[in-house]
Parts: sequence; C-alpha cells; structure tokens
Amino acid sequence: MRNISLILKQFSRTVLLIAGFAILGLSAHAQGDATKGEALFKANCTTCHKIESQLVGPALGPLVTAETDDKWLTKWIQNNQALIAAKDERALKIYNQFNQQGMTVFGSFTDGDVADILAYIRADWKTQQAKATAAPVGGAAAADAGPSDLVIWGLIGVIIVAFIVILVLNKVIATLERLMLKSKGLLPEEDLEEKAPVDRMAVVRKLAKNKKFVFFVILCGTVACGSWTWVTLWNTNVHSGYQPVQPIHFPHDLHAGVMKIDCQYCHSGAYKSKNASIPSLNVCMNCHKVVKQESPEIQKIYAALGYDPKTQKYDSTKAKPMQWVRVHNLPDFAYFNHSQHVKVAGIKCQQCHGPVQTMKEIYQYSPLTMKWCIQCHKRTEVNYKGNAYYDNMIAVHDRIKRGEKVTAASLGGIECGKCHY
Amino acid sequence: MLAMNKIKILGITVITIAATVVITSCKDKRSTGWEYAPNMYEHIAYDPDQKNDNFKDGKTAQVPPAGTTPIGFVRFDYPNTHDGYELAGTEVKSPLPQTQANFADGEVLFAHFCSPCHGLTGQGDGLVVQHGFPPPPSYSKGQSSRGGAMKDLTDGKIYHTITYGLNAMGSYASQLAPDERWKVIMYVHHLQTL
Repeated sequence: MRNISLILKQFSRTVLLIAGFAILGLSAHAQGDATKGEALFKANCTTCHKIESQLVGPALGPLVTAETDDKWLTKWIQNNQALIAAKDERALKIYNQFNQQGMTVFGSFTDGDVADILAYIRADWKTQQAKATAAPVGGAAAADAGPSDLVIWGLIGVIIVAFIVILVLNKVIATLERLMLKSKGLLPEEDLEEKAPVDRMAVVRKLAKNKKFVFFVILCGTVACGSWTWVTLWNTNVHSGYQPVQPIHFPHDLHAGVMKIDCQYCHSGAYKSKNASIPSLNVCMNCHKVVKQESPEIQKIYAALGYDPKTQKYDSTKAKPMQWVRVHNLPDFAYFNHSQHVKVAGIKCQQCHGPVQTMKEIYQYSPLTMKWCIQCHKRTEVNYKGNAYYDNMIAVHDRIKRGEKVTAASLGGIECGKCHY
Repeated sequence: MLAMNKIKILGITVITIAATVVITSCKDKRSTGWEYAPNMYEHIAYDPDQKNDNFKDGKTAQVPPAGTTPIGFVRFDYPNTHDGYELAGTEVKSPLPQTQANFADGEVLFAHFCSPCHGLTGQGDGLVVQHGFPPPPSYSKGQSSRGGAMKDLTDGKIYHTITYGLNAMGSYASQLAPDERWKVIMYVHHLQTL
C-alpha cells in the first residue's frame, strides 16, 4: 500500500511539474520578447506603420491590443495576401478599408518573431497610454504656468499705475508749493524763468550772423544730402538683401543644408524651363505627410490643402493657394531663362543665389543688375561640346568657308519661337 | 581761434559723413527699396506664381482641364489600383532607347528626386531616412508591399509607382515628365542588380 501511495505521489509530482513547465513555457511563448520585437518592428514595420497613429497602414497600438486572436494576426503578418485570396472576412475588411493596397508579405518571420513583435506593440502602446493618462497632470501643471504669465503682466500693470500716481501726486505737490510761494509774494523767480528763452534766441541770432558757421552748416548739409542721394540712386532698382516675410517659415538651411535635398527636387523647373518654379504644396507633402505633423508651420500647409492628417483625406473645397512673396524679380525689359543657365551652362545655383543652404530665411544675394550679368558673361567660356545649337553654328561656318549659300533659315530663322513668343 | 575752428570743422565733417553712411546703410530688409518705373517690376503680364483674380481660385498656374494631354506627354491610362498596377506591369514597356546618355540622365534625376529617401545606391538609406523618415525597401534585397521582390519589379510597375506614389511615397508626376520617369527607371533597373 505504501509503495502504491509513494508511486502515486511521485507520479503526481512529475505530472504537476511537467504541467507547470508547460504552462510557464506557453505563457512565455505567448508573451514574446518585447526587446527582440522592438528591433524587428523598427527594421520591418516602420515603413508603413506607427503604433499610436495611422501612417500608410492603420495605427497598430489600439488595433493589436483589441485583436486578441494571435493566430489570425500571425497568419496576416506572415502572408496577408494568402488570407485575402482565401476570402477571410476580417482580412477583406482591412484590405478594402485601405484601398486594396495590401501589406508586404513577411514569409521570413517565424511564429516566435511575430509573437515578439506583437508583444512589443502591446507593451509600447500600454506605456504610451499610461503616459497619456499621466499627461492631464502635466496639462494641469501647464495650466498653472498659464496664470503666472497673467500675474507677471498684472504686476507690470500695477507698477505702471503706481508710477502714474506718483507723477500726478508730484505735479499736485509742485503746484501747491507754487501757490504757497505766490501767496508769500515770491514772484521774481518766474521772471527769471521767462528771461531764459530770450537768451537762447540771442545765441541762435549771434550764430546766424557768423558767416563761417553758416557756411559750415550749409557744407555739412550738402555733404549729407549729396551722399544720401548718391547711395539711394545707386541702389534704386537693386533688391539685394531683400528678405520679405513669407507665409510659411521655410528654413532652406534645414532642407538644403542638413538634409542635403537637391535644389531641383523642389525647384524642378530650373533645368527645363524659364522659371525655376516655386513648388506646389504636393511636393511638400511628399515628406510632410509623415514628417513633423505637429508643427504649426506644417499645419499651415495642411490648412492650405484642406488636408486632415487624422483621416489622411483631402477636402478640395477648403483648399486655398499659398501666397509666397517673390524675392528674385527681374523687370519686364530683361529676359532670363533658368534652363539655359542650369542645364546648358551647368552653373551651380549658389553662384547667383548665394549660400542658400545656410539661409534660415531666404534673401536675395546677388544684385541682379545688368552690370552683374555682363561681368559674368564676359568671363564665362562657352562649352559648345554636345550642344546641337553650336554644332549647327560650326557646320554653317564651314559652309561659309566653302563659299556655299547660307540663309537665315539655316541659322534657325524659321523656328516658331523666333517670331512668336 | 582759427585753429580751434579747423579742428571743429574737420571733426564735424567726419561725424556727418559717418552719420550719412550709417543712415543710408540701414536698409530695411523687408522692403525692395526705391524702384524707378515700378510697373516694370510689377508685371502686367502674369507670372506663373502670381495672384490672378481672373480665376476662381486666384491662381495663375491652373491645372490643365481633365482629359487633356500636354504636348510631348504619353498617356498612362492605368488606374491607381492594384489591378491597374499589375496590368501596367505586364503591358507597359519603356519607349526610350537604352543609351548611355539616357542612363546618365537617369542617374542625375535619381540623385535629385529619389536619393533623399532611397539613397544613392537604392538601399533605402537616404539622408532623410537617416533623420527619421520611414525607410523604403531596398531595390535589390527588399520585398514589395504589393507582393514579390523589389528586384523583380518591371518597367510598368515602377512607372505606375512613380506616377501615383505608394505608401509613404507621394506622386512624382508633377516633378518628373514621362520621359524623365523612364530615364529614372533605367537607372533603377541598374540599382536592382546591386
């Protein structure tokens, strides 16, 4: 009997142990390793997903926390297109919700990898929510900081009022003292006060009679007016240094300097048209659909486009054009073509526009005067290689040398643009 | 007395000149300054980026009417859907000859328009990505979100993506003309083999 009970005891112990380990193992498996998951998430998912908000795909935090069917999630992540092909109801719903874009197939992920990623998403969303619930406290603190501003302004106001009161009282005291003095018969003081201005006028009259002084004053006046006229006339129609306030504070130093985005990414007309072109807002949205959504300057882009960053939808009825202020402006009597300078001559933008990649706020660097243009045209050598225009010129020149007939047409005289522009 | 005057005169002259220089050099950077014949600067003819009250939305640069095709543009009648993408992938081929000049142009255009995100070698490691923009997949090693490997993408599929954009990437139709897109694609095909 004892033996049997002993065997039973041992048996039950082993069963319990195995069961315990199994449960532990299972729960560990279901939890996944959040740190491993973080690395996987950042390497594979951030292209299209954010945890707290919608990017290309849905916001994963709330979605993955709400969806408890890990087996289904694993299937979706490993091969969503197979689920869609199998007409899975939940899969089709998401697929249609996101314009049938589908998601990248991650066949290389093992079940463990997916569990790690899910664990990371859930843990991160939890901490984010915890922060969000803690935020109202911070909000209250911020609200506390608000009145302190008011208090400061109030104090300043009180000080100003106090000064005014002191001044008024001083005046009152002064008039009262005067009245007292008057009543005592001390008027001669006022006579003295009246004499002073007369004396001053006398000084001026004396100086006006001094010819040397008068000549000197006129000389100074002439020099001052002359130099002012000279400088003003010299700078008339020259806008260098012009730095108007733009509707959006666009920092060229960040975009062209730090990010090293090529000038022509935005000013894409510079190498193919007369106008370098100010980018339309869709070019901004290439990046700012994602980047710095919270910035008030970026919000101005959204407002002008009628774009709602939450739903990622455009409302064209709310759209209005952005009114940038033109900086570089040539008068109508001068023709300038960007493509001729950028594409044909291969000039760097900075040669005329200055160190734009260091400008926080754009300004006109060069004077854009005729003298400035001519100076460069005198210096610049022509690169005529690989240019059909110059090839033709050389061909025509050879024909002249051979004594053949050369017409206006052979120099491009019947091109449309020669007359119609 | 005379000596005193001389010093005084010299001193005051220097002060006046200095003052005029200071006064005239304080130019208001928010203003263009004096303009002679300002109507030559504020054109009667409209600039493309100028305000224009003749149109309802107040812009001079109007979007071409729907259904029109600019001269030199080849129509691309594949809708921005998954089916349109697959169809373009099988039907559309580059009309450009595979010349060295086109390839060189494509390299320059790729550097200007694509490399900020995709990186100069197409690995999805451009400078903007390094500053936090969501990284695109590598052309040679990555997987496309629409299925298949990036290195197997055909002419038509890449053209569809450049024209309409995909995921975090916007449409480049306004920045790249059709022939420029084909030049870029020539260079992308080279990057797919890296």
